[in-house]
Amino acid sequence: MVVAMIALVGLFVAMYLWLYKLGVIGQLSCSIGSCETVNTSKWAMLFGLPVAFWGVCYYVVTLVTAVVGTTERFAADRRMALALVLLSGGGVLFSGWLTYLELAVIHAVCMYCVISAVLVVVMFALTVTDLRALPRG
Amino acid sequence: MARSKPRASQQRFVFILVAIAIVGAGALGYVATRPKPGPVAIDPNLPAGTAEGYLNGSPDAPVKIIEFADFECPACGQWATLTEPDVRARLIKTGLVSIRFFVFPLPMHQNTWSASNAAECAAEQGKFWEMHDRLFYTQDLWNTQATSSPDKKMKGYAQDLGLDASKFESCYDSQKHYPDIKASAAEAERLGVGETPTFIIAGKKYPGNIPFDQIKKIVDEELAKLPKADTAKKGAK
Repeated sequence: MVVAMIALVGLFVAMYLWLYKLGVIGQLSCSIGSCETVNTSKWAMLFGLPVAFWGVCYYVVTLVTAVVGTTERFAADRRMALALVLLSGGGVLFSGWLTYLELAVIHAVCMYCVISAVLVVVMFALTVTDLRALPRG
Repeated sequence: MARSKPRASQQRFVFILVAIAIVGAGALGYVATRPKPGPVAIDPNLPAGTAEGYLNGSPDAPVKIIEFADFECPACGQWATLTEPDVRARLIKTGLVSIRFFVFPLPMHQNTWSASNAAECAAEQGKFWEMHDRLFYTQDLWNTQATSSPDKKMKGYAQDLGLDASKFESCYDSQKHYPDIKASAAEAERLGVGETPTFIIAGKKYPGNIPFDQIKKIVDEELAKLPKADTAKKGAK
């Protein structure tokens, strides 16, 4: 349940960054701020779409999986718990790569990216704990 | 009875999710719709800068606009391609407005210095504005996302514009205008410009991409403050 709540918070963080990238939020300009530097760098795009958009997709999938995992049918299902571990683990790896880019390549750290990274790490810890608590077989 | 506890827990869970959704949507809605900050007056007592920028329009135009832009900034590109044509046709050509352009390369744009260099070298041959337009209209072909070595593109644009290729290349490769670009950036810093594009109109600083209607409104307000003879002479519409 907590994983779903965290995923929902993460979804809004990613939506904020996506809307910012689209110019809906904030001034339509380029400026010397950490989030602006990160969000206007070439690493802010992946497969032709903003990284923040992929973040929104990621959190939607995680949220839906986590909500489905709380239903009576799947609450004790290890496959669902494993899916959440893989999702959050993937999120940790991706956030780790983005954080590396921020620190070592772009030399700017966006607070919202850090929040998202912290959220996925917490989600990963929770999903691993959940999986280990479930009986095998 | 045994099921009532999980059901209550599920209801609480849904309630918390809905609460987070409402707070999140409300916060996003607030930041998306809150009014943008107004213009900031420039301190008239600031010591003069050394950069002169590039003028488009009559030096005697009653309303003078100063623009600070980064050739690689997408917002500047959007203004140059979508708004500036209207400004030129309806305000500059009619003699009401002049724009003085200062390049302000921002550190996160890796190819902006090459573009600024190309514009300066085109200016040597009297084609600053042609290069200015070419750079903004083709921004996505030479920006950091497109290439890590934009020199070939810049030299190609010089050829397209009919510039003397050897003169341009000699100028471009020598980077002799880098001090001028630095002086232009220093002018931005002197005036407290922190983002691009930024416009200074009648001593007030307007950060961000401003649409034509807003520029027209500001220009009209400034024209209304002038003595009537001046405005009539310029044929304000």
